[in-house]
Amino acid sequence: MIDINTVITGLGIEGNQVSVPLIQQMLDLLPEIPMIKLLISFILWKPFFAALICPGFATLGILLLFFPWIERKLCGRIQWRVGPHEIVWWLGGIIQLLADSLRFLFQEVIVHKDAHRPYFLQFPFLTFIPALLPLLFIPAGNIVAIETPYAIQIILAVICLFPLFILGLGWASNSRFAFIGTVREAFMYFAYEVPFIIAVLGMIILYGTSDPVGIANKQSIWGIILNPVAALTFFIAAAMATSRMPFEIAEADQELAAGPHVEYSGIAFGLIYVLCYEKAYVLAGLMTILFLGGGSGPEIAGLGDLSGVIWFLLKTLIVLTTLFVLRTIYPRYRLDQGLSIGWGAMLSLSLIALALSIALAQVGVI
Amino acid sequence: MKKVTVPEQSLGEKVVKHAAAIRVAMKESVYPLTATVFYPRERKKMPDNFRGYLMFDPDKCISCWECAFVCPANAIQMKEAPNKRYYPTVDYGKCIFCHFCVDSCSGGALKTTKIHDVAYKDMGEMLTLTEEMIEEPEIIREDKKLVEYEIDEQDLHLKRTREVDTLFVEVTPPVEIPMVSQCIEPGSCLGCRICEEMCESGAISSIIERQVIKMAIDRDKCTGCGLCVKECSMQILRLVRK
Repeated sequence: MIDINTVITGLGIEGNQVSVPLIQQMLDLLPEIPMIKLLISFILWKPFFAALICPGFATLGILLLFFPWIERKLCGRIQWRVGPHEIVWWLGGIIQLLADSLRFLFQEVIVHKDAHRPYFLQFPFLTFIPALLPLLFIPAGNIVAIETPYAIQIILAVICLFPLFILGLGWASNSRFAFIGTVREAFMYFAYEVPFIIAVLGMIILYGTSDPVGIANKQSIWGIILNPVAALTFFIAAAMATSRMPFEIAEADQELAAGPHVEYSGIAFGLIYVLCYEKAYVLAGLMTILFLGGGSGPEIAGLGDLSGVIWFLLKTLIVLTTLFVLRTIYPRYRLDQGLSIGWGAMLSLSLIALALSIALAQVGVI
Repeated sequence: MKKVTVPEQSLGEKVVKHAAAIRVAMKESVYPLTATVFYPRERKKMPDNFRGYLMFDPDKCISCWECAFVCPANAIQMKEAPNKRYYPTVDYGKCIFCHFCVDSCSGGALKTTKIHDVAYKDMGEMLTLTEEMIEEPEIIREDKKLVEYEIDEQDLHLKRTREVDTLFVEVTPPVEIPMVSQCIEPGSCLGCRICEEMCESGAISSIIERQVIKMAIDRDKCTGCGLCVKECSMQILRLVRK
């Protein structure tokens, strides 16, 4: 017979638990049941909680079900339309994506003759690696899966891997629309990546650390107030990176019929469809950490560590909603306009932001 | 050559315009205007003179054929009824809903309704016979609300009221000018008796007097439909006021 307490201590998960005062009494009663204590301790172990529940897998999964609905409904409202409506119409079509994904699931995945079959089928799944990996380093409040002083750099590096997988998708499709979309994606990738990295670099210089928990703790004044230029650059770069409307150059529904993923159907298309929302979630999380104070906020009574989680999610959702609303008010830029914005205005803005950060760091604001 | 260029704007103007766009988006996301009517559950309020499905009242019809003559789509055919009179039938496969027939109907026998959602199983069914136009068609009503479009100075608003619109409008019949057929040149009459055959109300009669056919029009029986005027081969009949 294994002593459970020995196991828990042995794994080193004893002292690193998510504490929620509201349900603590209930949790104290549970160890009477065998194995439950191990299970609960394991779930409430901070790294595991972060990876599996928030901001990790479960939260992402639930939010992914609602992101397209939020986007479509909000854009519909702003443009005097209704948006998703007929499925559960008294709730405003809230489970639209569930219905869509069921349809995707049972649809045939067509692999056309010219496609490079193994890559064509692998890439939709492989693309989840850069989409999900950054979540291990993004903290919600003080809950984080992997704590490292180089977290921001790692998140940046993994996010920058993302377009390579999109290029792979388009290349494996071997179709002219997919090819044009892929090349456009590559152009835009270079246009936004440099200002994006410089803007984040500026914030790291300003805070003097690249540990996200440390950055969140250092923001007695939010980063967006300290360095609004960097925030603007980051936001525009995020819109470019996630193919939001003014920079929806790679996908260009009207001309390229969805760009790199024109050839995909069925569940493969479903996976790609949610990919840009995942990327938007990661970027919005990063923006929350860098500019909006992470999970800081008034302590909600009785929730303990979950209070930070709720503030983090709330801020992330606000950033995401702002990204979604861009679709309604801007038309799409041409490729050359997008490139000139990326290499011209945004590069200058990011350099200004860098200079501002260095100046603020010299003065010693933080 | 004149070249189309992007209008010159300073940075300040651009920022102001971006801010205006964002302001509109924020306003509409909180308090949106909308233009959508949820059709089976709501119904848009139609005006009383809406050009919809046609209804027919045989008591007012004087069988003047005017609707069939005026129909630009040739959708109206006159069919003989058991009482030997001719009544219109409408082929909705051809009808363009111009409602010239309603406007031309002197007795007000054809009238409009607000019904605009009619479904047929096949093309043959679209030929609506006179009997089907007399009774009100069967309608499944799901609507609970009535939607009215209101346009103020710049925006369009939807006003929703919890009431059910009546689709059958009572239209006041047009003021009828009593007309009567009259022969303006009896001397030119050939005596072909086409007018007598045409007349549905039996107002025209003929007497053979010394091997000369004499026509007579009974002013009381004449409905003023004008069929005889159209058909007279010598064109000596006219419609005059009673």
